[in-house]
Amino acid sequence: MSAAATTHDHAHDHSHDDHGHHEQSFIWKYIFSSDHKTIGLQYGLTGLLFLLFGFFLMLLMRWSIAYPGIPVPGVDFIRSLPVASGIFEGMFGRWLNTDGSLNGELYNMLGAMHGTIMVFFGIVPLGFAAFGNFVMPLQIGTIDMAFPRLNMASYWLFFISGVLMMCSFFVGTGPVQTGWTMYSPLASTANIGVTSIWSHGHTWWLSAMVFNISASLLGSVNFIATIINLRTKGLGWMKMPFFCWAMFVTAFLLLLAFPPLEVAAILQLSDRVFGSSFYLPTGLMEGGKHLDISGGGSPLLYQHLFWFLAHPEVYVLILPAFAILTDVIPCNARRPLWGYKSMVYSVLTLGFLSFLVWAHHMYLTGMGTMMSTYFQITTVMISVPSVILLTCLMISLWGGSIRFNTQMLFASAFLPMFGIGGLTGLPLAFSFIDLAMHDTYYVIGHFHYVVAPGTIFALFAGVYHWFPKFTGRFMNDTLGKLHFWPSLLGMNLVFAPMFIQGMAGFHRRWYDGGKYFENTSGFSNWSTKLTHEIGAFFGLNIPDNMLSLNIVMSVGAFILALGQIPFIINFWFSLKGGKKSNSDNPWNATTMEWATPTPPPHGNFLFDPVAHRGPYEYSVPGHPTDFYPQWESEPGKPEIKPAADKVLAHH
Amino acid sequence: MDIPYTVHARPDTGLYNAKIGIWLFLASEVMLFGGLFSAYIFLRVGADYPWPVHDLDVTLGFVNTVVLIASSVTVVMAWAMLKLRKFGLYRLNMAITVICAGVFMFNKSLEYKAKFAHYAVKLTDGTLLTGHLPHGYQVKFEGITELNLTVPLKKSAVFADPVGYVLPFVEGGAAKFKTEDGKEITLDESTFTALSAEAVKKATEAKKSQATIKLVATSPLKVAAKPSEIFGYTDSTLTFRDGTVATGKLADDKMTLEVDGVDARGVAQSEKSLAFDHRYLGDAWQKAFVENRDHHFEEFAKNYPTRDKNRSATLQKEALFFKLHSATPPAAGEGHGDKHGAEAHAPAEGHGDAHAHHPTVVLEKKDITFFSNFTPKLNTYYAIYFTLTGLHGLHVVAGALVLAYFLLFDGKRLRQDPEHLANRVEVGGLFWHFVDLVWIFLFPLLYLL
Amino acid sequence: MSDNVEEIQKSIKKYLFIGGLLILFSAITVWLSYVELPTHGQNILLGMIVATFKAALVALIFMHLNHERSVIYKILAFTVVLAIVLFALFIFSHEDPLVFSGFYTPSDQL
Repeated sequence: MSAAATTHDHAHDHSHDDHGHHEQSFIWKYIFSSDHKTIGLQYGLTGLLFLLFGFFLMLLMRWSIAYPGIPVPGVDFIRSLPVASGIFEGMFGRWLNTDGSLNGELYNMLGAMHGTIMVFFGIVPLGFAAFGNFVMPLQIGTIDMAFPRLNMASYWLFFISGVLMMCSFFVGTGPVQTGWTMYSPLASTANIGVTSIWSHGHTWWLSAMVFNISASLLGSVNFIATIINLRTKGLGWMKMPFFCWAMFVTAFLLLLAFPPLEVAAILQLSDRVFGSSFYLPTGLMEGGKHLDISGGGSPLLYQHLFWFLAHPEVYVLILPAFAILTDVIPCNARRPLWGYKSMVYSVLTLGFLSFLVWAHHMYLTGMGTMMSTYFQITTVMISVPSVILLTCLMISLWGGSIRFNTQMLFASAFLPMFGIGGLTGLPLAFSFIDLAMHDTYYVIGHFHYVVAPGTIFALFAGVYHWFPKFTGRFMNDTLGKLHFWPSLLGMNLVFAPMFIQGMAGFHRRWYDGGKYFENTSGFSNWSTKLTHEIGAFFGLNIPDNMLSLNIVMSVGAFILALGQIPFIINFWFSLKGGKKSNSDNPWNATTMEWATPTPPPHGNFLFDPVAHRGPYEYSVPGHPTDFYPQWESEPGKPEIKPAADKVLAHH
Repeated sequence: MDIPYTVHARPDTGLYNAKIGIWLFLASEVMLFGGLFSAYIFLRVGADYPWPVHDLDVTLGFVNTVVLIASSVTVVMAWAMLKLRKFGLYRLNMAITVICAGVFMFNKSLEYKAKFAHYAVKLTDGTLLTGHLPHGYQVKFEGITELNLTVPLKKSAVFADPVGYVLPFVEGGAAKFKTEDGKEITLDESTFTALSAEAVKKATEAKKSQATIKLVATSPLKVAAKPSEIFGYTDSTLTFRDGTVATGKLADDKMTLEVDGVDARGVAQSEKSLAFDHRYLGDAWQKAFVENRDHHFEEFAKNYPTRDKNRSATLQKEALFFKLHSATPPAAGEGHGDKHGAEAHAPAEGHGDAHAHHPTVVLEKKDITFFSNFTPKLNTYYAIYFTLTGLHGLHVVAGALVLAYFLLFDGKRLRQDPEHLANRVEVGGLFWHFVDLVWIFLFPLLYLL
Repeated sequence: MSDNVEEIQKSIKKYLFIGGLLILFSAITVWLSYVELPTHGQNILLGMIVATFKAALVALIFMHLNHERSVIYKILAFTVVLAIVLFALFIFSHEDPLVFSGFYTPSDQL
């Protein structure tokens, strides 16, 4: 560690048990830090805030779907507040109908921004950047990332991109309304007559994405270089925790899939700003008038470039979830990870195959039989490694003595939830089914089951699991359970009815939830009857048709929202008031992040860690304890003392 | 705290960190340019117009190729000299590299500038005229008596801003108007602010979503604006980009073009192209065109008797894309077989005496379907050309900045830790070679094939 | 990487030679593009072959890919495969559109 100690700043010296690392001023320690842990936390907090914001957008949408034409509750209250009213008016208020209800225009904005924010600003920063940054260098036993300053640049580019994206709410035409996919030609020509290109949200969206992509590229270069070159002594590739493997593959996906999106964004920007026709076919008309363009381009070009990114992006969303679970599940089941090697090879195969399947999002574009056959085959193929990953996690539970703490609850809920998401995706792999299901709520249900109760549950598990390492304190378990059960209930209430509605043909872009599509929404089945009966039990008059499911989903969303309150309280309260962890390895885990002091100082380790064995040596026969950490040279001679029993007494 | 393996290689991988980093970055760059090149292919195979071949200045492109290759040699030499600890030669080679980058960008700017001053006009029958606009092109309105301004009450993308979007195009001095309540004002920033505030107040009271202001000009106004500066027009109304509508009379929207090329490849019977209408180039030029065309067809039939003349893109271009090099049609038998592109003769300055060499036509608006200068708007070829070369140019600038930084500001490292600097130069050099490598593909794809 | 002083000394001449070769081949590309081959596609193919050869020279000699570490080769091999996928599938999907065979009418059943 550097001997160049700067002034000791007691005011911000939060941790008294820090192990003698040098002190820096607040700005350099917490804002412009090049330390991977601080950057990880910055990413984490920003990501959580964006998740919350994206969720709020979804609540507004759900209100409009369940109660079209009815004023959003609380609007008058917000409008009466002094500062908030201005912000609310600038972001949403000016688009609401005069009575305070939503209209299609605002719904489209919310939809586009919900998708963008959740994917690019919520889950990727949280799953990949936050957990990867914090945990990965610790697990491979290094002092920092390979390029610490690049790492800082990565976070701040991401921050700028977030600011630009939020700015787009306040500009003239408001944020983009063309879905998170920004399909051209609509996205290239929407509101093209505005006075200034900067008064259109699209320009801001594209600029923000350019920054976001640059940040991802820097981050992924850093991750890969770190994993290749900075693994500690003894940590061969096949001794590396699966967490690092998953991050490694994710980083490759980001590295190689994002540039085509950058191309797509640049070409679209050129279409909008310079009037080129990359995505605009000859003879394109709008409002009965030929546009002043040369034509000759192709909207398909955009879709190809976009989905070349966006399919690997799906695995960027899900692999960090698997990464987290492979630490949480073996640790809490006290069993080694089942099939470590097959998981590693699966994740590598998954990473490669994910680049070959993108056009299954484009069956509806008039693809010939040869191409669609090819993409159907690769799509079905890619489900095999996904199933292997999930199965290995499930088998890892077999015969374990499972501790059902909060992170394990989230982790074990992930398994069936992701299973539902994955299995409902299988039919969509076939073009003849997809043609009917395209853009219905069935698709929405499918990928939300993968990402929401899937990835987000895993992310929560990760927060609960590593919180003692971040802070030296535990999160409260009771509040954690209060967080888990409503979340599980809410998630399923929101997403399960989507399958039923989707089969009935409900389209994802109906801001009124199908109210004006009587042929689609007017019939009933068991689910609507059930809803009707339950409503009647509580004295509510819920109609016995498909629209009733909208109400179920909105109630689910509301429960989900309430369920996050314990988490927020728990998170902030536990930072200062949580139960102290008196061990550096409170969960008795085996991977190397638990060999560091708590919280890990700048430079991480107090000794030079050496990996003596594989990462999941739980319940090794003949070993005195039920875990055998990677860094211990021989039994009974641990460099780090094991956790006191009382820490785990409440399990 | 020092990150391991920044200077010396890790034994088992044999690499220092930055080298892995730069190769990973280059891998993502491969995908970036891969995406752009596949866009190029996609656009080219899907093009519904003859893809331009040899349309750019090949000489300039070739000079740039040589310059870039030379800089690639010098940057690897700089690294070798640093490894040999010959610091003087290192500096020399590095300096040449940076200068080469400057020359490359200078040539590029010449090329871009010539494009911006050169126009193409598509006529209703598919003929494409290329040439220069000696006086620019403006839509002129006269007798404008009334302005209708719209001020939305909520923040919106289009709101009345006559000071920014109307007044700059009004000819003559300060415009005077009468408001609805008979006040006479000179329209400027402050009077408009007061007016709109009043109108907004009224509209709010009346519970309307937008306020309208009607201004009557005290004396009829004249307006002249480029089509890009206004939103649209009819014979009697002119809509500005801020949504303001002026009522008046269309005076002139004819386009004066100095024609230097007639591209009749899009016309079924090329000799009947609208360009040879009696109002435009006329019979004499038509004769010259037909003569030139038939001459090329005959030559081709003689040289390649087995080939189909409709399938040779080069022949189609030479025969049907007729270049005009004089103000009047050449006498019979002259002016055959020139192989030069239009650009070779287009003066880089844009305007000048050279224009006396081209005939001038005055095109009527009803005959024009589309016009643009040689910018991304013109067609997908120029769109991808500007995007590819522009992004490549950005890479050149970025690479040159990094190398210049090593040359100018890394002297301390040069004295104290030349090995580390050598690593940095190697990494910077790898990026530079990659930029060269991209150009190796760009040059034939855009300039030659 | 050759850190050996003698080897670097020797390679300087090689760099100059390759530079000259690259310029020569650039000139050849320009010349080839004016040759009227049976189809323009053959011109493109020929031009691309020369360009690929030049690119290979730059990558192998200037970028030292002729003696690089295996990690770099693995990364690049993966990237090149994906870049080819990008090209190939774009072209294939362009060449294989859904053929529209007219609206279905009940009389088609007969």
